[in-house]
Amino acid sequence: MAGPVLELRNLHKEIARKDREPFTIFRNVNLSLRDGEFVSVVGPSGCGKTTMLRVINGLLPRTSGEIFIDGRSATEMDHELVMGFVFQGASLLPWRTGLKNVLLGLEGRGQNAKEAEQIARRYLDLVGLSGFENHYPHELSGGMQERVNLARALAVNPRILLMDEPFAALDAQTRNFMQLELLRIWSETKKTVIFVTHMIAEAILLSDRVVVFSHRPGTIRSEFQVPLGRPRRMEMRSDPRFLELENVVWKQIEEEVNASGGFSQM
Amino acid sequence: MVHRVASSESPCFSIDERTGKLFSTLLKAGSLAAGLLIWHFLAVYAINDATLLVSPVVVVQTAYEMLFVNGELYPHLFASSWIFFYGFALAIVVGVPLGFVMALSPLVRDYVNPWMTTLYTTPRIAFAPVLLLWFGIGGGAKVAIVFLGCVFPILINSYFGMRAVNRDYVELARSFRLRPWALFLKILLPASVPFILAGIRLAIGRGLTGVAIAEWFGATEGLGYLVFFAGQTLNVPTLFVGVAAFAVLGILGFELVRRVEAYVTPWRKEPQGG
Repeated sequence: MAGPVLELRNLHKEIARKDREPFTIFRNVNLSLRDGEFVSVVGPSGCGKTTMLRVINGLLPRTSGEIFIDGRSATEMDHELVMGFVFQGASLLPWRTGLKNVLLGLEGRGQNAKEAEQIARRYLDLVGLSGFENHYPHELSGGMQERVNLARALAVNPRILLMDEPFAALDAQTRNFMQLELLRIWSETKKTVIFVTHMIAEAILLSDRVVVFSHRPGTIRSEFQVPLGRPRRMEMRSDPRFLELENVVWKQIEEEVNASGGFSQM
Repeated sequence: MVHRVASSESPCFSIDERTGKLFSTLLKAGSLAAGLLIWHFLAVYAINDATLLVSPVVVVQTAYEMLFVNGELYPHLFASSWIFFYGFALAIVVGVPLGFVMALSPLVRDYVNPWMTTLYTTPRIAFAPVLLLWFGIGGGAKVAIVFLGCVFPILINSYFGMRAVNRDYVELARSFRLRPWALFLKILLPASVPFILAGIRLAIGRGLTGVAIAEWFGATEGLGYLVFFAGQTLNVPTLFVGVAAFAVLGILGFELVRRVEAYVTPWRKEPQGG
């Protein structure tokens, strides 16, 4: 149990191109997460952090490198649901109600329908949406859709939660509420989380550790332990340690953007 | 707190909605009434020749007689309805699965495509005599003509519906490790339903055209035959009753599809059509 829950060793992704050398998306990514750790990945736009999340989940093939989950190769356990993916923009199925969206990952997994429904209801309740079981996605606000999105990924009880800028589409206020909600849900479920975002403050507020990606082809430039206790509160955003870390991370991202030819080249 | 956040996308015109609806209904009724009035005055005062045009009043009288006095319309109505139903149902049974298979298999698509394009672009009326030769003047040829009219919009829409499925949904299915069959049943099929229904709606008009064409060639009953025969014998009131019966069948078909759509896609804000 002492070993890392998720370990990436020299993870490398490139895309073959016709008549040209392959295009490298990210390279030499080494990262390990201990049980229950919340790690955020920030970096310049287009640095490959979202692609890395997809590669970890097996949605895209990797070019080389290894992924281990609890010490086992992810390739061998591809058919197992060890990871939940929270997609950017809720990507709820519009023809399914809130409850049925949460049920999607549970169907056909051995439980009987009643058990599955109970589990789905429990997770809707966890994200604060009991009473909205029979609402279709278009009847839910953006924040509520994100809650369903989160409940859907959690319902299959994954070991690891991969979150791809889940709050990017929300307005600033709803976003802040969702950040606190996510922290509450995380503390109740004890998941190991990789959270990709382009908002440095969001990364610091949520995480135990912030990983900064370089410009493309992305690789890990630096890692920072967040020097703040738990539970986190919104006021911590004005804590000097918070502001200092935010500045350091911002400077690094700025350097990366400049090194890649400047913002106008992005 | 967040529960109270209203969906900011839906515009708040709930107050205007009712008056808007009433206005829209009045506009439609007014348009119909104006058209009928112009028709009436044209027939009675401008043309005044019963072998060219008769007033809608006469058409309604004739329809009443054919429906409730001598019942002459029923055999034609039933004959046409059955031909339509068989051809239409067959088109759905063939078109939807074939469209799916073409969308999922480039091999099948390339194999079927040249035939589809050829058959789709050839005027169906040119096929009618050939089909009559093959199937005889019984129901078979007529059903085949209706089928040919209906199958392409259904097939093409089923094909494009499945091709147009949001990639995010497919990725979502992959993240949950859904098996191919579950991917089809839970993602691809429901996502395609609105497209299929749109194809079916298009097929209604084309199917009724098929009925009319089929019954012009060597039929002894049916609305197409009725219209054709009435035209030959300058029986203008009966001719218009036949045309109106076609229109009523078309409207009923549209309404049926609209209801099916509202039932199977309750998640759509405003089912199109009607």
